[in-house]
Amino acid sequence: MTRILGAGASTRLKLAAALVAIAAAVALPYVVSHYQVTVASLILVSAVLATSINFMAGNVGLLSLGHAGIAASAGYGLAWAALHGFGLGGQLLIAGGLTVVSSFVFGITSMRTNGIFFLMATLALGMVVFGLSYRMAPITGGENGLSGIRRPSLFAEYWTFYFAVLAVFVLVTVAVWTVGRSPFGITLRSIRESESRAQSLGYNVAAYKLGAMMISGLVAGVAGVFAVWSIEFISPASGSFVKSALAALMVILGGVGTLLGPLIGASVVLGVEHILSSYIERWPTVLGLIFIVVIIYAPNGIGGVGRDLRKWRVGRKRRRADPQPEIEPASVSLNDGSD
Amino acid sequence: MLIAQQLLNGLSFGALLFLVASGFTLVFGLMRIANLAHGAFYLLGGYLGVVVTARSNLAVGLLTAAIVVAVLALVVERVLLKRVHGNELAEVLLTIGVAFVVADLCLAIFGGNPMSLAISDWLKGRVEFGSIPYPKYRLFIVVFTVVVGVALHLFQKKSRAGAMIRAGVDDREMAGACGINVRRLVAAVFVIGAALAGVAGVIGAGLLSLRPGSDMDILLFALVVVVIGGLGSIKGAAVGSVLIGLVDAISRVWLPELAYFTIFMPMALVLIFKPTGLFGRSVTQ
Repeated sequence: MTRILGAGASTRLKLAAALVAIAAAVALPYVVSHYQVTVASLILVSAVLATSINFMAGNVGLLSLGHAGIAASAGYGLAWAALHGFGLGGQLLIAGGLTVVSSFVFGITSMRTNGIFFLMATLALGMVVFGLSYRMAPITGGENGLSGIRRPSLFAEYWTFYFAVLAVFVLVTVAVWTVGRSPFGITLRSIRESESRAQSLGYNVAAYKLGAMMISGLVAGVAGVFAVWSIEFISPASGSFVKSALAALMVILGGVGTLLGPLIGASVVLGVEHILSSYIERWPTVLGLIFIVVIIYAPNGIGGVGRDLRKWRVGRKRRRADPQPEIEPASVSLNDGSD
Repeated sequence: MLIAQQLLNGLSFGALLFLVASGFTLVFGLMRIANLAHGAFYLLGGYLGVVVTARSNLAVGLLTAAIVVAVLALVVERVLLKRVHGNELAEVLLTIGVAFVVADLCLAIFGGNPMSLAISDWLKGRVEFGSIPYPKYRLFIVVFTVVVGVALHLFQKKSRAGAMIRAGVDDREMAGACGINVRRLVAAVFVIGAALAGVAGVIGAGLLSLRPGSDMDILLFALVVVVIGGLGSIKGAAVGSVLIGLVDAISRVWLPELAYFTIFMPMALVLIFKPTGLFGRSVTQ
């Protein structure tokens, strides 16, 4: 597993692994039980949310602890519209609109922050969404949430829904990969490497971060919509800190910045949850212990490719050793003058 | 008249927020750790304080909460945080794990029903400011917090340990080179911060009831306060607490449904226009 995903693996091997994985994913509903297919759908939906966090963490080096808030705003938009007689188009429009608004709020308030500050800003924002979903009971149903939302008839069955989320996950992953390889994505990574350097090269760093957050938020919104469809229900718990933190944990487990890391992380976390929660009553304690164990023993994820956590450390050491890393001579090498 | 009373209520809530936020910001200032278990420490301290106070008195309750939470924090620092020392992201995520475990164990031990502090007789009833009645307990919170705040300030500015902490905040390596045991200092500050959270939990249990989820509520408020005031700044925590306390109290009167929005707005404005907070010194880069 580690070798296949590692940087040293050959492209052909990766391709073969991908084909096998896709074949297995397509065959899944024909092989396993109804319940297991449902769990697989939940894993895929969580993986989409984790992908949205991974996009920011991998490309910009910023880990969000509030993305479930964006997903929940999309989910509430969809659920509210569905219960007020809107058609599918109207529901998606409202969900999309709320996604854009909340992503923008997340982006504009966090675009000038970094590292821990970004983490805390997104955390607080996510909690605000959670608090609002509790308090605006006339719209959100308060603690009881909104129930009775039906999936679109196209994927009303559990197995057609599975194929739908599978398709969405693949599409989102390809989209995120494409954006990551685009000039925009490359600029984001240069910001991750050195914000001040990117700034002095003339890039509007804050605007790029806002843009990245909009893309990431859009993915989170997709996850939010499918999360509502998967259980045909939404409550404040969908936007809770636990949800956001879990999604971040999935990203770390799978390896920050890796393409399939979110899926691996989601599979491990939800797999453990579904196996253990039937035996152990205290799931949050187990979850907390998993958090602690992962951070101490596998901070770079199962694949061990989480460059980001290491980078964080290196960056910090450098910052401590040299208060002005932005003017170190290495920056000259960026300027090769070829174009 | 209603407004004056709300402002006074806001002041006492702000005082409670300072108790919570000062510990959080103190820890961040020295260790650069955003301790997300701070809310869980508040919850644990609060529950312990409620249970112990009901059997003896408030002083014993406060002491028990402070000591138990401090010991727990010492274990967390020595056993867990030490292992990922220097890796800011890992440190924060580790405290999330601790928060989950502590909050869930609180639920297991103390149950899910809301609990409140049994207020002693001498703190019951009201005092009159002119014609405005003000609960004695709220006045007690304000006085208690001022005492704690002044003690913290004097400790930081006048004591030898405080000077060491300030040296550690300014330049950790240089402080270490001067013979200060920075690791021990860090552990001490983490423990003090946690004890403050525990004490705040007891005090807060007399004002707001304690229930599962209180940890996250108070953590949100603490985050908002320190983001506004500037991470690591005690002065900022004081200003941010009072500001948020007042904003919250006023919005409860005028915009009750949007209570969360109104505390969020000042934070958003600070993040957009001065991301380091009003009194934050550190540059984010």
